[in-house]
Amino acid sequence: MTDLLPISLPAWLTPQLLVSALVIVIVLHVALGAAAYGIWLERKLSAWVQDRVGPNRVGPFGLLQPIADGLKLITKEEFRPRGVDVALFSIAPFLSVIPAMVGIAAIPWAGGLDLSAFGLEGVVRLQGADFNLGIVFLLASASLGVYGVTLGGWASNSKYSFFGGLRAGAQMISYEIPMGICLLCVVLAAGTLRMDEVIRQQTDHGWFLLHMPLPAIMFYICMLAEANRAPFDLAEAESELVGGWHTEYSSMKWASFFLAEYIHVFVGSAFFAVIFMGGWSVNPLPFGPDLPDVNPASWGALGAILLPLIQFGVLMGKVVLMVALTMMVRWTLPRFRFDQLMRLAWEGLIPASLVCLLVTSAVVYFGKQEFMFIGGLASIVLVLLGRPFLPRDETNRRIGMIGSRFSPVSA
Amino acid sequence: MDHIASTLAPVSSTLDSYLPVVLIVVMAVGFGAFNLVATELIGPKVAGKVKMSTYESGMDPIGTARQRFHVRFYVLAMTFLLFDVEVVFLYPWAVAYTKVEPGSPEAGLYLGRVLFFVLTSIVAYVYAWRKGVFRFD
Repeated sequence: MTDLLPISLPAWLTPQLLVSALVIVIVLHVALGAAAYGIWLERKLSAWVQDRVGPNRVGPFGLLQPIADGLKLITKEEFRPRGVDVALFSIAPFLSVIPAMVGIAAIPWAGGLDLSAFGLEGVVRLQGADFNLGIVFLLASASLGVYGVTLGGWASNSKYSFFGGLRAGAQMISYEIPMGICLLCVVLAAGTLRMDEVIRQQTDHGWFLLHMPLPAIMFYICMLAEANRAPFDLAEAESELVGGWHTEYSSMKWASFFLAEYIHVFVGSAFFAVIFMGGWSVNPLPFGPDLPDVNPASWGALGAILLPLIQFGVLMGKVVLMVALTMMVRWTLPRFRFDQLMRLAWEGLIPASLVCLLVTSAVVYFGKQEFMFIGGLASIVLVLLGRPFLPRDETNRRIGMIGSRFSPVSA
Repeated sequence: MDHIASTLAPVSSTLDSYLPVVLIVVMAVGFGAFNLVATELIGPKVAGKVKMSTYESGMDPIGTARQRFHVRFYVLAMTFLLFDVEVVFLYPWAVAYTKVEPGSPEAGLYLGRVLFFVLTSIVAYVYAWRKGVFRFD
């Protein structure tokens, strides 16, 4: 590569590094735009669900609304009530938004790019950071988000914020465990921590969503809880806690919390799309044609440009689908109660995910990764069979309709 | 352990592959710092006695918010640590385990050891359940 360019490049400035930097700069802006327009999409969807019109004044279909909101928020008063812990109060929103943005680096946004189509040498991966521990990195950066929320609630010196922060902390650490175990099932089935390798496994053996439906659903539930999204938005339950941990925040600090939430949803959807929905794979079945991972040499320079764009488009389509699903869940399901939330994580998801882990490791023991869907079915059956044997909590039992004072049938 | 090291994929990720992570951290911190400074500089600043009080449904705030809270949150955090450390230990195992010959006695040994490891956590988990750690009602 060096002899093609007029100046000699230092050895550490590899083509991969240049491509990674380019991908990061592009995708970071896409993510910020997606967060801003995610809020617009959420308002439009909620209006659609509730039979309203939604934002329609600023620009066509209210499309300029996020920009107007951003300008308004920057010019708002930066307000800090008496008695707050100034240092923690100031950095908490950014402790929340920075980990959410850092997670973007690990996601493969397209496949490999064979540079021989442009007369250069080597294959580069079109992802932020091409390293061996993509899945662990994403999990780690996602779980760092708990600090911002908890510290923000603690520093505010408001009782609502305090309860919100406390709840958020307990909720986010609880749902991290089943999330980690569900990911472990994927790691076992794929045998790698590299995200692009996970996608290649899925183009060969079919999507993990079909092979392991139970871990996929549980992972999605945990993702909602990690991002503090409804029906798990206990931390900001406006009917009980006003605003939760961001009650005392204003201006761009308040907006940073919301940016963090929407970037979390965006990155989480991309994560789900990559590890369960095959990334840029268009064929969920183990047989039949699919997009190639790296552009073949016969496609020439045009194919080398078009294929990554198509892959990126397919992945973004899946991401938009998952984001829209997350929003529809928010506007159609009621909020959990806090004890139900905790029980779901500890007494429901953790045993179920442990069963999935055992079944997956048994399938791997026999070396039958391509028949993982049998293991997926077996884990569903085992979970359904094991459910009656778990101790049942007799508090908060559901009241039967007939004979209760809420009954439409008069006793 | 040699056979595992030889069957693992060639290590393509050196320290260089973490340079983009440094880049994205710098960009994210820059974004945060810009917002922090911008909100301090732009926008009005008006103080007032009532305005500076924290929100407590319109009443005068009573006492401080940083009070003692229920011990169940501490117990839950400790139980979380137990499981989180377990999951962290399982990740390297999961990658190494898939590289072993399937069905061989060695694979059985790998599986058996980790099953025992998970079992020790399950004992603690059952104990915590019976002690009511997960009951928040």
